[in-house]
Amino acid sequence: MKRIPKLLVPALVSVAAFGQGLDFSGRSGLPAGIDISGAYYPLPGQDSGLITASGSLVEYGGIPMNEAGRLYALAWSAARIQGRQHQCMGYVVPYTYNAPGNFRFWEERDPYTQRLLSINSYWQISEGLRTIWMDDRPHPPAYAPHTWAGFSTGKYEGNTLSVYTTHIKRGWIRANGVPQSDEATVYDHFIRHGDRITYFAVVNDPVYLAEPFSRAYTMLRNAKEPDGWLYACDDGEQILGRPEDLVESYDWGKHPFLREFADKHQLPLLGLLGGPETTHPEFVTKLKDPAAMETAAKALLAPAPGAPHASRAVDPNPRDGEIHVLPVQGNVYMLVGDGGNIAVQVGEQGAFVVNTGAGQLSDKVIAAIRKLSKNPIQFIANTNPSPELTGGNVKLRAAGMDPSLMGSFFSGQFADAGQGATVISHLNTQMHLTDAKTLPSDGIPTDTFVHDRRRKFHNGEAVEIFYQPNAITDGDSIVHFRHSDVIVTGDIFSTTSYPAIDVKNGGSIQGEIDALNYILNRTIYEHDEEGGTMIIPGHGRACDEWEVAEYRDMLVIIRDRVQKLIKSGATEQQVKTARVTADYDERFGVNSGAWTTDIFVAAVYNSLKNPPKPAQ
Amino acid sequence: MSYKLTHMRRIVLLTAVAALGMYSALAQAPPAGAPPPGAPAGGRGGRGPQAPRTAKAAALFDLTGYWNAVVTEDWRYRMVLPMKGDYAGIQLNPEGLKIANAWDPAKDEAAGEQCKSYGAANIMRMPGRIHITWQDDQILKLDTDAGSQTRTLNFEASQAPGGDWQGVSRAIWELVPVGRGVAPVGSLKIVTTKMKPGYLRRNGVPYSANATLTEYFDKIDEPNGDSYLLVTTTVEDPTYLGQPYLTASHFKKQANAAGWNPSACTAK
Repeated sequence: MKRIPKLLVPALVSVAAFGQGLDFSGRSGLPAGIDISGAYYPLPGQDSGLITASGSLVEYGGIPMNEAGRLYALAWSAARIQGRQHQCMGYVVPYTYNAPGNFRFWEERDPYTQRLLSINSYWQISEGLRTIWMDDRPHPPAYAPHTWAGFSTGKYEGNTLSVYTTHIKRGWIRANGVPQSDEATVYDHFIRHGDRITYFAVVNDPVYLAEPFSRAYTMLRNAKEPDGWLYACDDGEQILGRPEDLVESYDWGKHPFLREFADKHQLPLLGLLGGPETTHPEFVTKLKDPAAMETAAKALLAPAPGAPHASRAVDPNPRDGEIHVLPVQGNVYMLVGDGGNIAVQVGEQGAFVVNTGAGQLSDKVIAAIRKLSKNPIQFIANTNPSPELTGGNVKLRAAGMDPSLMGSFFSGQFADAGQGATVISHLNTQMHLTDAKTLPSDGIPTDTFVHDRRRKFHNGEAVEIFYQPNAITDGDSIVHFRHSDVIVTGDIFSTTSYPAIDVKNGGSIQGEIDALNYILNRTIYEHDEEGGTMIIPGHGRACDEWEVAEYRDMLVIIRDRVQKLIKSGATEQQVKTARVTADYDERFGVNSGAWTTDIFVAAVYNSLKNPPKPAQ
Repeated sequence: MSYKLTHMRRIVLLTAVAALGMYSALAQAPPAGAPPPGAPAGGRGGRGPQAPRTAKAAALFDLTGYWNAVVTEDWRYRMVLPMKGDYAGIQLNPEGLKIANAWDPAKDEAAGEQCKSYGAANIMRMPGRIHITWQDDQILKLDTDAGSQTRTLNFEASQAPGGDWQGVSRAIWELVPVGRGVAPVGSLKIVTTKMKPGYLRRNGVPYSANATLTEYFDKIDEPNGDSYLLVTTTVEDPTYLGQPYLTASHFKKQANAAGWNPSACTAK
């Protein structure tokens, strides 16, 4: 097809704009008048004090947060921004549109048909880039990575550009500690009135909001192209010697600045603690009884008594009996659908597989790998002894072969040398699998290591297997595909549950935190805590370092709470009753099955009371 | 050479088509200054003169019903009576600052001026519910339970003297140019003048009788069935403001009158 001469483009657009019925504007054939292209800046008048992107501590009035959201915010210390992974945190939708700096919107059109493909948005703060797809494409599956801008699809409705966004990273509703979870979805709307855009967004967050958070504000068009578009950020050593497992947080009920903003502006603390009732006009009537308000406010400063809450997160595993393949980065793929995640590295040599899933769909796993790799599976690495990660060992091993052993001195001793893939793990994982008797002998790893690292150069890249002592068990490892820059964490990191720390087999909360920090010491983001080194967790969606840092932070905070209670003489039951995980349960909590929140808290408690001996 | 000729012909042809399109679009648009709710008067290929449609018949969307203010913007200025001197976000000129600094709610109450915050320039920011109905084919009536106020949004020119809290509001359905055969889209635009001087913020931030209030009403329907009314507001007041004061507020549609609670104005 010939490229349309550039001179014709304005004429064509004019035709569409003035109503000859030609459709060059996208799915609904609408209209020139709602084009929002141009440079804008946020209106400085409304929510003065918040538009500097933060707000004061304990200023949550008008945010319909639930208990978990409020407790998260009350525990949040601004000192956390000093942490390496927080320094260049990006801005999420819709919060970013309230940030200072400049915004730009522009259209992307198919050069041949001039049909509207996307409307793009760039924001200066954090140099964020959002693509709003206008071509009816579907949203990615739940196991795909999240980004600050999320994945957006749009359509014109009347005079409004309406957008739906999923796959957003955990960010801020307000950067004074009010979180927007990675389960949030957003409907936002752009309406142009002359030189301004009225922007309206509705955040639905099952984790941290009791009701949708809706908000309207205004952007003004720049009369000229603004000069400022960049926002350089590079994390650095803000405090030398800062321990890696330090994550500052406030104990509930002991926030040192709890009443600072309330006192300064003579505002009721109950209102500033947020909640859906603070957004409704009826809240005005509560203002008439200050004593009752104070009592009610005090009751909101700590978790309410009761059982832990269950997660409201979407299960990223489709559980449809099929194996789903996600290209992660470079030569590495993630296979989803059979219990734990399976990582597959492909190239000129045989496939290198990390973990084999639960073994329920192994035939389909093997078929999927055959589509990715012309050569059979050569290596299998087991990161943990979990049945969800090793259940497919027997079948996947049998489906592979290890040519490096054929014709070697092994062949003289073992008639079947090289027949079947070589299964690698840390020695302790091999021992746990042997003791558990859940796998026949041909599913047990045969190639083990004892010390800190096992390394290979395979399929054109360095592959390193690092031992992580006393994390989930005393035999865990992570696998780093260095050229593809993908780390497979096994169950050390999950996006679906608290870590299943197996205290009896040498696991511990401190070892788990150390392992997460080990991962974070190997990752590098591409831009503002996004991209770069990619992560395949034991369970859940593909990620980058941001999610690992968040998980590490959570576990450090929970560890510190439990440790304080232990020091105060609390029993295991008293620690459970204190609901030390209340700000994370809506995201990770489970109240039934083999791995509940209570069992996790017990594991934290017991591994702190009786830390494991260093692995032998 | 041959390609160039063809190319030029295409440009001429398309430019002609574009010009026809412009002519057609202009023919459909109401003449400047004409009441916007009137129907397009036929246009090229039309069926001859038709009676102008009423504002009610020409409505771009249905605003009638009960709407509940969702107070998520400027919470501390709207839900709670702000402290004296807290004017952040509003560019007052020296004269405006002088008035604001003299704010005395008790004095307002004593003078029977307790509705100063309930005038048109601030009433949509008050926590409360609004009820919108068609008073007749050309007037939308907007009642508020906060302060028990009534705004009449008139789609026809009015000779009303104004001078009360709600002033005189002229409404139009402001259309966005769209293609032929596409249902008209746009916003409800309201320009209000002749207001009795009142407060932009409850702590005495003033607007004068010279103020002009421009509002856009838009309706958003969410996939879950929720409907929202967006109100985008500009207040221009050469007497007290150094620059226009812009805000955006929103209301959620209610199925009925639940929570409707008319109350008197209060200055405190």
